[in-house]
Amino acid sequence: MGINTEQLSNILDNFVSSTNDVQGAALVTPDGLALAASLPGGMDEERVSAMSAAMLSLGERIGGELARGGIERIYVEGDQGYGVLTSCGEDAVFLVLASRAVKQGILMLEIKGALGELKSILI
Amino acid sequence: MALDSHKLMNKMEQRSLFTAEDKTLLQSHADWGREIAPDMAEKFYDYLGRDEEMNAILTEKEGRIHRLRETFIEWFAEMFTGMDNWGGDYADRRWRIGLIHVRIGIDPQHVVPAMATVVREAEKRLIAESKPSELKESLSKICMIDLAFIEQAYVEVSSAAVLRETGWTERLFRRLISTGADSM
Ligand code: HEM
Repeated sequence: MGINTEQLSNILDNFVSSTNDVQGAALVTPDGLALAASLPGGMDEERVSAMSAAMLSLGERIGGELARGGIERIYVEGDQGYGVLTSCGEDAVFLVLASRAVKQGILMLEIKGALGELKSILI
Repeated sequence: MALDSHKLMNKMEQRSLFTAEDKTLLQSHADWGREIAPDMAEKFYDYLGRDEEMNAILTEKEGRIHRLRETFIEWFAEMFTGMDNWGGDYADRRWRIGLIHVRIGIDPQHVVPAMATVVREAEKRLIAESKPSELKESLSKICMIDLAFIEQAYVEVSSAAVLRETGWTERLFRRLISTGADSM
């Protein structure tokens, strides 16, 4: 049975529209291919997907090299907002974009919730 | 990106139209190949030595040029003998030569003109000694196959090193190259 991409897209769309200050999200394979994406207009989905996979993998490597243990998330903090990368099981990388105004604790909880839903479909 | 050198050898033979006739012709001139190899080495290192950058690489380590002359002579002669009839040993040896050049940091911009020099100098000898023109063609083909090995090693080893350090999959790496290249 193939992965239900429609369901994945629905979860992402819901997540983006219902979570305060979340601006976009994408689920990509470790090869950098988008499984589902709900990104702000003008963002290059292909490039974002490849870079997200690259970043998570590199983060995991550097985490190992720096003896930081298993990596829970990669956090990109810019003056325009945040990008959070979390691994979603073996086969996917979850990217979330949020504005500067986001409450980080809440964002992390929301991400955890979305990950649970996404994983249940991927397995 | 573990490359299968034997497969590459087969592919290169096909693509270069390197036939059984080429092999027979080269092998029948194996003695001649060995005979002219020292002179070819002389010309080759003379050529490399005239380039500032390449000369610096050659003289960087004590005894390097001497060692290189020996290995070049072997390499040149092997193009005529084919070692194991251009089989697995030949492919492995060519792959290893490529790997060594990548490690030293010798780029396509150095290797391609260098191989052109080998072809040109060999051609002069072929003409001077009235060797059959088919031999020139066979030798050119195998020179280009050897060149392809060094060049392919360059790509493969560079990519494999990045993959090792980043944990990226090969597909991801290729994707990054294509999205990056698209924006150039
Ligand atoms: C037609 C192109 C070339 C051929 C066929 C060739 C052939 C070879 C061979 C057979 C070896 C020995 C590999 C071994 O130890 O197993 C070698 C090593 C080497 N080559 Fe080349 N080469 C080429 C181009 C170049 C160029 C352009 C340079 C630039 C300076 C260069 C510099 C070296 C150096 C520094 C080594 C390592 C020597 C050492 O053992 O310290 N080669 N080459």
